[in-house]
Amino acid sequence: MTADMDNKTKNQLRRILIPVASVLAVILLWQAIAVYIIDNPFALPSFTQVLDAFYRNLFGPRGTLAKDIVISLYHFAIGLSAALFVGIPAGIAMGWFRTVDQALNPLVEILRPIPPLAWIPFAIIWFGLTHGSAGFIIFIGAVFPILVNTYTGFRNVPKVFIEAGKVLGCTSSLGQIKNIAFPSAIPEITAGIRISMGVGWMCLVGAEIFGAGTGRFGLGKNLWTYYNLHQMDSVVVYMLVLGFIGIVLDIIFRHYVTKQTVRWQGQEM
Amino acid sequence: MSIVSITHLNKVFEREGQPPTVALADINLEIDEKEFICLVGPSGCGKTTLLRIIAGLEKPTSGDVRLDDMPIAGPDPQRGMVFQEYSLFPWKSVIDNIAFGLEMKGVSRQERRQIAEEYLNIVNLEQFRDAYPHELSGGMRQRVAIARALANNPRVLLMDEPFGALDAQTRNVMQKELLEIWEETKKTVVFVTHSVDEAVYLADRIVVLSPRPGKIEEVINVDLPRPRDRTEPMFAELRKYILRRMEEGASVR
Amino acid sequence: MKGKTFLILSALVACAAIFAAGCTDGGNGETTELTALSFGYQPSTHQIAYMVAMDKGWWEEDLAPYGITTITDHKFPTGAPEMAAMVAGEIDVAYVGAAPVISALDAGLDAKIIATVQVQGSDLVVRPEITYTSPEDLKGLTIATFPAGTIQDTLLRDWLRNNGIDPDNDVDIRGMGPGDATVAISEGAVDAVFLPHPSPATIIAEGNGYTAVASGDMEEDHACCVLVASGDLIRNHPDIVEQIVRTHIRATEYSIENQDEAAQIYHDMNKVELDVIKASFATWDGRWVTDPAIIIDSVVDYTVVQSELGYIKEPMTADEIFDLTFYEKAVAA
Repeated sequence: MTADMDNKTKNQLRRILIPVASVLAVILLWQAIAVYIIDNPFALPSFTQVLDAFYRNLFGPRGTLAKDIVISLYHFAIGLSAALFVGIPAGIAMGWFRTVDQALNPLVEILRPIPPLAWIPFAIIWFGLTHGSAGFIIFIGAVFPILVNTYTGFRNVPKVFIEAGKVLGCTSSLGQIKNIAFPSAIPEITAGIRISMGVGWMCLVGAEIFGAGTGRFGLGKNLWTYYNLHQMDSVVVYMLVLGFIGIVLDIIFRHYVTKQTVRWQGQEM
Repeated sequence: MSIVSITHLNKVFEREGQPPTVALADINLEIDEKEFICLVGPSGCGKTTLLRIIAGLEKPTSGDVRLDDMPIAGPDPQRGMVFQEYSLFPWKSVIDNIAFGLEMKGVSRQERRQIAEEYLNIVNLEQFRDAYPHELSGGMRQRVAIARALANNPRVLLMDEPFGALDAQTRNVMQKELLEIWEETKKTVVFVTHSVDEAVYLADRIVVLSPRPGKIEEVINVDLPRPRDRTEPMFAELRKYILRRMEEGASVR
Repeated sequence: MKGKTFLILSALVACAAIFAAGCTDGGNGETTELTALSFGYQPSTHQIAYMVAMDKGWWEEDLAPYGITTITDHKFPTGAPEMAAMVAGEIDVAYVGAAPVISALDAGLDAKIIATVQVQGSDLVVRPEITYTSPEDLKGLTIATFPAGTIQDTLLRDWLRNNGIDPDNDVDIRGMGPGDATVAISEGAVDAVFLPHPSPATIIAEGNGYTAVASGDMEEDHACCVLVASGDLIRNHPDIVEQIVRTHIRATEYSIENQDEAAQIYHDMNKVELDVIKASFATWDGRWVTDPAIIIDSVVDYTVVQSELGYIKEPMTADEIFDLTFYEKAVAA
């Protein structure tokens, strides 16, 4: 019994200690290289400098980190909601109605490969330097994974489900979409949303390059500002914050949404 | 009293670049209330097509199909169906699957769940009320599918090789259970199978179909008393006879 | 377990060593044989001396005796990425605004200003429908200019502050490149721009604005573009640096004497309409000059402004920024 418990605690310790030790090792290495080998805060800011910059950006008189996070999340929310609003209905229409698919498919295939950042010129022309233009770039990044996955989810609804629905009294197209195809497609749709969240968040840096809204705040915006001022320690802070929030958003999504939909699938997501 | 009447039914499938396939040619059949009728035949004989036409999932090329003397327009819960593939909605629990037809009719949640529970009991799956289909074995899933079709109180229950995907033992168990359910609910059942053994075990009447084109070879009455015994000589004889008829039908064309 | 940890650490050390080797090897290692030189510049008429010398082959001609066989250049939209490239060792010599140099030096750039390129020469252009009579009229407007830390950004903010306008709250300043700013004002996405020539002339020619204030009116003879050489070049090849200054002086004087030809050269290199360039020369308040002594005070003043703006930690001295010896030697010769 004790041998079992020993093994269990050993495994738990291993699972925590090894990653922690590895991260600590990297940080020490980074610090050593930055201070003793490179000795140029421009080329590689040290860990302590980054920590210091983090503190300044969060609490200092000129620090705007907290506001930047809020504004960037705002842009992200705009882009993502627009993507859901456009992508899901379009994916449903294309996935269910053959004619719609034939009509829209060429358009989607032409637009989809265009990188979101290539839309920046038109984002500014159409939306000006507003929150909307940043949201638009994120929308472009987020809409296609949602659309494609919704489409695939609908295309892949097993025919037997539709027929079972029909013989149980679900005869209208709308009814079938609502009661059968959509629930059946939910795993694909949520997978698409998760991907689009990742892509959309990554577009922030490009989307905010010209400063949307008031032009002063935004994680992407101020990453560029600090780059222009050659304050690379702050640039690293912003990079890490962007990465961290991206992961947190993904974890939250997986925990609350994916977990629910997996309930009836009985498989690992 | 016949509740399903099929008159001069023809079904031709047009395929691009190929000569049309005559799936069914001049089918005439009367199905009586409360009877258990089996459609048997080798692949390509049109038995599934015939079932699907009765269900309203396919349209005949010509001919007449009626339920209670009313022409069939399309699928309807009055003609419930159990499919060969697993057709339960995986996102719904067992009880909600069974209640689906009632949900489509607009019955309130409380009421439809109550009704569904009755049918849950009939198929003996009360403990799995809130389970999800992926948690059930093949046999259990088909039982839920049967309950789901029965919950709408259909005039006729159509079954398309429902036990085809199950292993032999489960299959035998399910056949027994099906007969119990049939006796309890007194439904008219049209059962498609390519297992002659299954047909002899289950049916009041057996319709033997032969392929190319699909035609009725013979309609046989099964007078064996229930419960039927597979080891009994009469059972074996009937099975031999049907198999021979099927062979003859297949070789002539 | 111990063995595993050791392996992981060794792998990390190996990676770090490779990374470090790559970093420190950024082009400034070898001191003896130098055969290639890289210039950085921006598409502005401020830096026409560079372009004239390039077009006439003077860089190659004058530097060949010192062993330079290859000359390459990089065009940058503004000084910010140009300074980043210099720190990375991508360019050895830069034609760039003095302000980005300051923030780069503060961040660890190893370089010095060796000559002036020009003073003044930027305009605040306002959209036609907006009336400008005094700085007060700018309140509430959106102004596009070069990114934070550049001359235009520094000068604009300082000038606004001196006129009682808070650059953070009373106006909306957006940093971007000249092309983007020109598009922005033509689309009405911004109300005004503060850009170096020839952009103002382009905007005016297209009917999208008029000049409200010339930068020389914001601060007389304010420093603008300068010539910067890397510390490595200064220490290890002073003769080359001196020649660069001489060639620069020659090209500057040539441009002043032959403005039409200079305009043609600019047109060929940068695709701006010849008429627009000529209009730019006629209307701008900029002057091409080479003597660094002219701008020392202005540049040191920039460091004060930048430290007030929080761009750098504290003001800098002239010695930290300039190396006047090369200019002195070049004109003495």
